[in-house]
Formats: sequence, C-alpha cells, structure tokens
Amino acid sequence: MKSSSRSRPLGQWFADFGRRSFEFATSPLAFQRAAFGYALAVLSVAVALGVALLLERYDFRGVEFPLLRFAVALTVWYAELGPGILSVVLSSLVFNFFFTEPLHSFYVTRSELPYYIVFLLFASLVAFFAGVRRRVERDLLQSRGELEATNKELEAFAYSVSHDLRAPIRHISGFTELLQKNAASDLNDKSQRHVAMILESAKRMGNLIDDLLAFSRIGRKEAHSTMVSLQQLVQEAQNEVVPETGGRNINWKIGSLPVCYGDRSMLRLVLVNLVSNAVKFTRTRPQAEIEIASTNHNPDQIVVFIRDNGVGFDMKYVNKLFGVFQRLHGPEAFEGTGIGLATVQRIVHRHGGIVWAEGLVDGGATFYFSLPKSQGV
Amino acid sequence: MSNLGRILLVEDDPKDVELTLTALEEYKLANEVVVARDGEEALDYLYRRGNFTARSTDNPAVLLLDLKLPKVDGLEVLQQIKADAKLKLIPVVVLTSSHEEKDMVASYKLGVNAYVVKPVEFHEFVNAVKELGIFWALVNEPPPGSVKKN
Repeated sequence: MKSSSRSRPLGQWFADFGRRSFEFATSPLAFQRAAFGYALAVLSVAVALGVALLLERYDFRGVEFPLLRFAVALTVWYAELGPGILSVVLSSLVFNFFFTEPLHSFYVTRSELPYYIVFLLFASLVAFFAGVRRRVERDLLQSRGELEATNKELEAFAYSVSHDLRAPIRHISGFTELLQKNAASDLNDKSQRHVAMILESAKRMGNLIDDLLAFSRIGRKEAHSTMVSLQQLVQEAQNEVVPETGGRNINWKIGSLPVCYGDRSMLRLVLVNLVSNAVKFTRTRPQAEIEIASTNHNPDQIVVFIRDNGVGFDMKYVNKLFGVFQRLHGPEAFEGTGIGLATVQRIVHRHGGIVWAEGLVDGGATFYFSLPKSQGV
Repeated sequence: MSNLGRILLVEDDPKDVELTLTALEEYKLANEVVVARDGEEALDYLYRRGNFTARSTDNPAVLLLDLKLPKVDGLEVLQQIKADAKLKLIPVVVLTSSHEEKDMVASYKLGVNAYVVKPVEFHEFVNAVKELGIFWALVNEPPPGSVKKN
C-alpha cells in the first residue's frame, strides 16, 4: 500500500517536490495541464461572478454563495491543488468585494463577518473533499498500474518456466531411459535401482512443473461465464475418473444438483479434482461410498458437498488442506503433487464462493464449496 | 519403409536433436531427416539460400518446428512459410516444450497443421515422434512438389 503524502518524511517530500518541479519544467504536457488548471480557476470564478451579478440585477438574492462554491468545486475536480487554492482565494475576495457590506471594498463589517467566514469554510471544505477524491483516484490508478505490471511479470515467468524448465527435465528423463535400455546388462542391481530413481524423480519434477503452471494459468486466464449444469459436470467428472476406479466397488450417491453461473471449464476442474480425490482416498476401502449433493439452506448461495468414507484427515491440519503443494499423506500411501485442492480453492474464490472441509482420521471426509446464486466470475 | 518423405527438423538444442533422432531411428524414420539449428537456417533451407543453394528443388514432406529458437523464432518461421504461396502447402508440426495456450493459439492462427507438446517421459516422447513421423512422412499424402520416394 502507498502511504499517504501526509505521513511521508519531510526529506522525501522535498525530494519529491524537487523531482516534480524538474519534471514540470521539462515536460510541456505538465505545463499545459497546470496552465489549464489556473485558467479554469480564474475563469470559473469570473463566470460565477458574472452570473451572480446579472441575477442580482433581476432581484435574485443569495445566488452568489452556491455559484462561487460551484466554481471552486469545478476547479478542484478538474485541476490540481494549486488552482484549487487560487479559486478559493479568488472566490472569497470576490465574495467579500461584491456581496458583503460594505460593498466594493475588502472591508468586512462585524455583522457580515459570520456570513463571510461560513463561505470561506464551505469553500475550503469543498476544495478539501475534491482533493481527497483526487488523491484516492491517483492511488487507485497507481495500484492498478503496479498490479498490471506484476501480472505481466508473472506471465513472463510462467512462460519461461513452461519453455525453459521442462526441457532439461525431458533431457534427464530421455537420456536416463536410453541408458536404462542400452546399459541394463552392464549395471548391477543397485545401479539399476538408482537409474530407476532418477527417472522417477524426473517424472515427478515434470508433474510438479505442469501442475504449478496449470495452477498459475487459472489466475491468469479470463473467465467466460455461462449457465452451467453442475449435474452434468459431476457426470463428466465421474467419466473422467473411470480409469482410476478400475475394478473397484464404488457406491455413488448423486443427489439433484442446481444450475449455476460461472466458467464451465474451471468449475469442471473443481469437480474433477474433488471427485478424483474422493476416489483416491477411498482406495483402501472394500466398499467405497461417495455422495455428491447440494444443501439448499441458503437463499443466495449454492452449496455443494462431496462426502466419502475414505481415510479422512485430522481436523488439526484442516488449514493446510488447501495450500499449494501441501499434502497430508506420503507419496507411498497416495500419489499426487498437492495442487488439486489449491486449484479448487482458487477457482471457487474467483467465483466469489468459499471452500471448507470436515474430516475424521479413518472416518471419511466431506468437502464443501459455495457459489453465489446470481453472480459470475 | 522406403517411401519415406524427408523431414526437416528445426531445433536448436543438440540434446533435443539427439533425442528426436533417436526416437525416429527407433522406427527407422531417421534416414531422411535434415536438421536446422535456428529459424534462419530453416528458412535458408526452404528458400535454397546460403548453404542450401545446391539442394534438390523438392520440399520436405513435413517440418517439425520448435518454437523457441535463436535469431528467427518458430512462430516467425511459421508465419513466413504460411505467407508464401510456394511453401504454405508444406505441413508444419510445432513440437515444443510449451503448454502455454498463448503459443498454441498463435500457432493455429498462423495455420499450423499440428501442435505437439513434448512429453517429459522419453518413451512417451518416442511414441509421439513415431506417430508424427509415420503419419506425416508415411501415411499423409504430401502436396505436389514434395519428395516422396517410391
């Protein structure tokens, strides 16, 4: 976050001032903008004065007060602080000279003093508000610029990972496989095991990189929202995990699921991840039970849950579940890189929903996600 | 496999060249492979310039193109080929490390004939290259003017 200009140390303020003056002197655009601001200040006060005097001739009273304030507001809105101050000073002088007793003098009578002070305060207040608005707008623009730059950098980084990091891993894997094939007879058992381990590690590294890239792609990708049938997505997710269920006894209980508004391919990924997890972590069960349904308690949210009777988890570690590359099981027990639930969370958050989970060691797990009923990504 | 078309492999990394050639050899597809080490060399070959002024006039049956190349990158090579009336009939297969959608979309927009991401595991890579080689150099009927020995 940028600190406001008021809390900056004085030295920095001077440095900034110096830099800005230099930029001002060397940039014709900044000069033009400042000239425009001061001209606007003078002109708006002059026009307000003209209109007020004209209306006074037709016996309209008390119009000068709002008109001059309007001139101040207009100046501060479109120009910088300098022209704003000028417009406050000019309008208060004009107000004093033309509209407070005695007329046509800068002297203020006692009885007119409160009126004059109120005007001055009002004008300053308007200038202050407009100034705050301008600063907030500038900070926002700057943050947006910084965000865009960060995003670009991230994209370049992912692109480079995609191109450059995968190549050496392919080479390690490729040449090791060739070695394994051509030199198997020369290697003793131990060396052959080492070769197999190199291959396994290379493969794992490749998977990690691919998963990480896929994860970062979710954040960078533009969402295309449509009406999506969750029922159909569950069906597709079930079809997709068929190869993992080979020969297993799984009892699917699929309830009726609603239609929601979101990015179809992303939501599909959510369900594929959750369904594939349920299938994976019930592998040790002779009879796996997987239930997918929606709870309809909340009028503005869709809540879908996926419950299994698998190995479950300790609620102590529930906060780690959705972290990138966080795993609660060793690779010997259950394979995986630990990106699935992080992906689920990222997608659901992008849709304005939340994810949470309940589990019991050896007692199954339930994963919930919510989606707003009438809002896209 | 005598009626094999010539393959132009455009690849800067010598390790990748070796792996690809090994994969092609495994299926006796490597006998007519020409390797270009960067985009410029690939274009020299296609336009019969530089070192390739003396080569025969027929075009390769297929071009296996890496995207990240020195001097002239893969997408530029693809663009030049598809913009040239004489060359645009040559089937071009992008063979790259990158899964990036940006590259894929750009390649298809330029009219690439296929886009293959190199798998990490070698036997999968061998399969991919084998299928590419068999399809483009053997099964596919190339446009007139390409080399296809009978």
